[in-house]
Amino acid sequence: MATSGSVTESIFPAQEAQVSDRDLDWAVVQKVQSGNVGAYDQLVQKYREKIFSVVYNMTSNREDAADLTQETFIKAFQAIARFKGKSSFFTWIYRIAINTTMTFLKKRSRRRFISYENIDEEVSNSEIFERLTAKNQTEKGALVNELQEKLNDALQKLSLKHRTVVILHEIEGLEHAEIAEITKTSVGTVRSRLHYAKQQLQGYLKDYLG
Amino acid sequence: MSQHTKDSQKEVKVEDLLRLKRAERPDDAFWGEFDKELHQRMLQTLVKKGPLHLQIWRTLSGRLTQSVGVACAAAFLALMVVRPVFIGTTSADLPVAQIDNSALTSTSVVEVAMSDLDVSSIEADHDYSIEGISPNVESSDERFTRDFGMEGFELAMDADYSSDEASMRPSFGSAGVATTLVY
Repeated sequence: MATSGSVTESIFPAQEAQVSDRDLDWAVVQKVQSGNVGAYDQLVQKYREKIFSVVYNMTSNREDAADLTQETFIKAFQAIARFKGKSSFFTWIYRIAINTTMTFLKKRSRRRFISYENIDEEVSNSEIFERLTAKNQTEKGALVNELQEKLNDALQKLSLKHRTVVILHEIEGLEHAEIAEITKTSVGTVRSRLHYAKQQLQGYLKDYLG
Repeated sequence: MSQHTKDSQKEVKVEDLLRLKRAERPDDAFWGEFDKELHQRMLQTLVKKGPLHLQIWRTLSGRLTQSVGVACAAAFLALMVVRPVFIGTTSADLPVAQIDNSALTSTSVVEVAMSDLDVSSIEADHDYSIEGISPNVESSDERFTRDFGMEGFELAMDADYSSDEASMRPSFGSAGVATTLVY
């Protein structure tokens, strides 16, 4: 799948990096499949933060997120012998993470326990916070905590399918096609879900918008 | 990865707020603990996981051990409960039988049973307890064997010595339970 040529590289740099990443991952996967179990750690180190972020935003609970992220890597390890490289490892492990999290959330549907992750301090100095502080005339520290709570609450109000799409696109920055592959739906469905989810969120977060 | 270039816009949008979620990240200490736990869990998985036939064998052998254990416990319990029934058939000098004898004579339940017996018809040197818990013992005194041997112990359980029906039930179970009650 690797493409070559300066024209291709200049037009699709992101895609080129993706293809390269895919090949690198596939090489590591093959090492693990051939018995080099230690090589799996490279994949863990590479994807643990991304997987944790998705799971954390879906659950709004850092302990559950840590546990589910570990479970994701264990499941992937157990199934790695069956991984044929038809999709990228990245897509495959995201799919495992989302399925594991969805199963978990469906089981604990009645129990809601929130446990937030710390917000990076740099974000409170960002432009968006300057605007929000000016608009709401509140102290910055208080606003950070308040907004974190409201955002998590708003995400938890969305259905699992809508939450997944909005997290993958708006927070993780994945393309519609990548999300479609991970969730095994069409790009149209992804767009539709994203549109609906944003509409819902606008309603929940209207005090901070505009 | 999508490109978001809306810096020029001054209005706060949903996308802007959601992007703030990217800043919710764990610290290095968290990842240290995470890696440690993950390695432990993966090691456990590696140890637990084996070939299919071994997993099946482990499951079956585990259940077999459990069943054998339960069977042994049941056999031991049964032996302890039923054992006195058989003691009389082997020897009257066994220490268990002697303890049984003393227990019988000191227990009020047995005293009631004894009071209803026609003691005069029984020879003085008879060892009641031993014969009483041994319904299979052949005796020349038919009345003694039937009345005392079986009913004596039914009485201990049912408190109905006078019933003839009880005396007609040669039950190991009832005799055994009765004996343990006397103990």
